[in-house]
Amino acid sequence: MTEHKNYARSTPVNCLTFAALSLLGLTSTALAGRVEETFNTDFQYGHYSESSERMAVDIFDLATSAPLGKAMTGSVSLVRDTISGASPVYNVRAKGDVTQVLSGASRNASRSDCGKSICDQRDALSGGLSYFFESSSLSMGGGFSQERDYTSRFINSTFSIDSAKKLTTLNIGASLAFDEIAPTEQFGGYIRNRDCGELCSKTAQQYLVGVVQVIDKNSLLQNNLTFSYNTGYLSDPYKKVAVFDGDIFTNLINDNRPREKFQWAWLSQYVRHFGDLNHAALHVDYRFSTDDWGINSHTTELSWHQPIAAGWLLTPRVRYYSQDQADFYRAVASSNSTATVVSSDYRLAGFGAVSGGLKLSKTLNTLKHLREAKFQVGAEFYEHSASYQLGGNRLSDFADFSYYLFTASVNVKF
Amino acid sequence: MIIVRFLAMLILALTLIACSPVLPRQRGNLALPQMALTTDALEFGLRQHTAFSKEAASGGYGGGGGGCGCN
Repeated sequence: MTEHKNYARSTPVNCLTFAALSLLGLTSTALAGRVEETFNTDFQYGHYSESSERMAVDIFDLATSAPLGKAMTGSVSLVRDTISGASPVYNVRAKGDVTQVLSGASRNASRSDCGKSICDQRDALSGGLSYFFESSSLSMGGGFSQERDYTSRFINSTFSIDSAKKLTTLNIGASLAFDEIAPTEQFGGYIRNRDCGELCSKTAQQYLVGVVQVIDKNSLLQNNLTFSYNTGYLSDPYKKVAVFDGDIFTNLINDNRPREKFQWAWLSQYVRHFGDLNHAALHVDYRFSTDDWGINSHTTELSWHQPIAAGWLLTPRVRYYSQDQADFYRAVASSNSTATVVSSDYRLAGFGAVSGGLKLSKTLNTLKHLREAKFQVGAEFYEHSASYQLGGNRLSDFADFSYYLFTASVNVKF
Repeated sequence: MIIVRFLAMLILALTLIACSPVLPRQRGNLALPQMALTTDALEFGLRQHTAFSKEAASGGYGGGGGGCGCN
């Protein structure tokens, strides 16, 4: 009986939350349990640029959402990515040192229309509807994205339910993507892998269950568990593996990964308000993920949201990421090995990454026909290095690179 | 049975750390824009997409917005 009394004192039904969750591809910022009352339009420009003139991407993103009647919100989003540059194809080893070979490195490499070995454009359209009940909401969405050689069609759904006094929110979500790859014949001086044929496909499913809990009037905690299952052609038709017999190059074979991947991830996100510091907020995230390809990863991120005078907000952020290498990853393969499943993709190697960013935003509430307008600019610098992996390693330091990401956006509510 | 009760309370404890009652009139701080779990949806989407293209981990946050041939 005493045990029951102690538990009742901190029962969840006394807590309340209206935490926003824009999950699973939806860009709506509707709060769980309440219809968004304003029309919102957001436009964002982003520029991504890797070191050594590898990849550069320009991103244009337009999203709009509006209330539809008393209990529904609709949203639409358009994205265009313009991609150009070079990408590692395989690695070679000489005198014990491994180096990457980038697309376009060969003297015979043809330059694509944008002047680099890789030129592509990705357009994506997605939409969603959210319906709000008394203490729960249901969101459904879908869309497609198209590149020269890659098409993805996806649907998603999230159900959120608040507890009696709304201090706890349970979220259940599912998403499904059907991807088709029709590889281009040549890329950066190489002939693409034949195992894909004219068209190959991939299906990705992801399921989420999560709880958002208000801890007190200044803090809340989100815990999510996700499970994903990918099946189909999961290899990269433009990547190869060099086979060596000691220091002698003998063959170039296809990037060949398993046809299935299971992945689990756990995320904990803590948000805390500091009234004494001009209503600053601290966000701390930790995510662990593990898959059956042998990759375990840790991600941790901290951001500090500091309001400065009159509508200005400054947000510094740091992030640390570390992953193990995949079981079938090899920088270069050995001619002694009979393994058929092998990849040299630097993204399957063991490495760590440290990034830091800063964002500045200005909100205006006194405009004539608009309820609110917000302008934001941000920059982030990211460094990928084998030595940053937890425990450190020098094995894949030939794949070290960095990038910076610049974003600017305008958000309007009316 | 004792193990089941213990596990249930452990799971609850993990999500209810020192939870204290919050009345509706006290919810003002939690509703501030900087307190949202995702403060900037478009920027979040872009950063997740970038991370997904360069790292093996995915998930946790949700974000099943379709795949890409990202290189």
